[in-house]
Amino acid sequence: MNEDPAKLAAFEARIARGEKIEPGDWMPAEYRRQLIRMISQHAHSEIVGMLPEGTWIPHAPNLRRKMVLMAKVQDEAGHGQYLYHAAETLGITREEMIDALLSGKAKYSSIFNYPTLSWPDVAWIGWLVDGAAIKNQTMLAQCSYGPYSRAMVRICAEETFHYKQGKEMIVQYMTQGTPRQKALVQDGLNRWWWPTLMMFGPHDSDSPNSAVLMRWGIKTKSNDALRQEFINEEVPEVLALGLTIPDPDLRFNAETGNWEIGPIDWDEFWRVVKGNGPMNAERLAARQKAHEDGRWVREAVAAYAKRTPEIGD
Amino acid sequence: MTDTQWPRYEVFKQDLPGQPHKAVGSVHAPDAEMALLNARDVFARRPQVVSMWVAPASAVFSLTAEELAANPEFWQGTAVSPQPYALFAKRSQRRSMTFVEYAGEVVAESAQLAIKQALEDGRFQPETAIVWWAVPLSAISGSDPQDVDSYYAPATAKTYRQQSYYGFVSPTRKSVKREP
Ligand SMILES: [Fe+2]
Ligand SMILES: [Fe+2]
Repeated sequence: MNEDPAKLAAFEARIARGEKIEPGDWMPAEYRRQLIRMISQHAHSEIVGMLPEGTWIPHAPNLRRKMVLMAKVQDEAGHGQYLYHAAETLGITREEMIDALLSGKAKYSSIFNYPTLSWPDVAWIGWLVDGAAIKNQTMLAQCSYGPYSRAMVRICAEETFHYKQGKEMIVQYMTQGTPRQKALVQDGLNRWWWPTLMMFGPHDSDSPNSAVLMRWGIKTKSNDALRQEFINEEVPEVLALGLTIPDPDLRFNAETGNWEIGPIDWDEFWRVVKGNGPMNAERLAARQKAHEDGRWVREAVAAYAKRTPEIGD
Repeated sequence: MTDTQWPRYEVFKQDLPGQPHKAVGSVHAPDAEMALLNARDVFARRPQVVSMWVAPASAVFSLTAEELAANPEFWQGTAVSPQPYALFAKRSQRRSMTFVEYAGEVVAESAQLAIKQALEDGRFQPETAIVWWAVPLSAISGSDPQDVDSYYAPATAKTYRQQSYYGFVSPTRKSVKREP
């Protein structure tokens, strides 16, 4: 890094004092680069994240669940917009980011490359996937970059609704459901458990960006620390419902107070990250189609904006 | 390749009558009317909102405390012609959603001179400001009070969007931990 040492020292002192870095303030080029990378990937994840659940909107079991799911999916669209705009304050345009997503160049959270095979998968996404996202996002709400931190505070407040509506459904199916409903819930857990744990990213020992992200207050906790917090909070809750977690090595360590898990299949993780997961191609095609299908709307509003105002308009 | 860029508009949201409009983020739109509509979809899915303002991002002059320290004469040679400016200030480093919020209006010959005036004029509490924004009043479009019922009021009935709507959802605890 060839940054001016005096400026860098002043910047790091500001972060140490807990000040937020705002657009216009000096920042190291690497800080800007890392933030653009993280915020844009995060934005893409919100946008692609609408797809696995969106397919179930027409099949919701009742009107209440349908309204809740529509509200949740709308929220994810909103989260994507908050984040694209937070990234734009760093000098990239939304158009560049959308181009990267539509051309398949951009990364987004691998979890959304798994299929939703039954309605209870919607509930598991709320409980586990939004639950894991909240862990990460609660940490990022403390981030040293003002616009990212504020977007995260706003998002976390909304995510708590996503988490609770999902968990409420699982609790309902497991305490009042039919044997078939319970079996679908267990099947969903079997498929979503490990991909959810992978959401926290590679082990700290394989996470090259972590050190600089922690040093500059972008992240304040490591991948493994967040993953362990999540496991410790959710395992007892899942087990209390009579469900089986698909991990034969899972055990409680009374000395550390941690639930210990078996090995994560990182080959699967990297396969999905590199574009070869079960739904990567379909997700990309769905985004491209949505973009094309919306073209006439964009053309219409652009034409409306250019209109000659009528008398009295 | 895409055609989605459009100008960026900064969005200011007022939660309750009498409270200041607060900058909440931005939207892209071909004009101010669409910007207000997009702002409603992005920033008013939940109560409570009573009014929104939008202004093209290109019309916003921003000055951080760091920029001010580096260049205290930032206003030199900027005078054009007098017009009213709305001033916004960020006054806290505390973790919250709050960025700059409406602080009042001044007439000045440039956005820079509007902020200079705010720095010299006791009523803007310049000692607490971390970021200043100055926006010509002529660049700000506000929501129509007649639209409040159709734009913002419906969100108040959608209680299922609030996490408080879901009480008991933990099998092992009396109630789930409140948000961190
Ligand atoms: Fe989200
Ligand atoms: Fe969510």
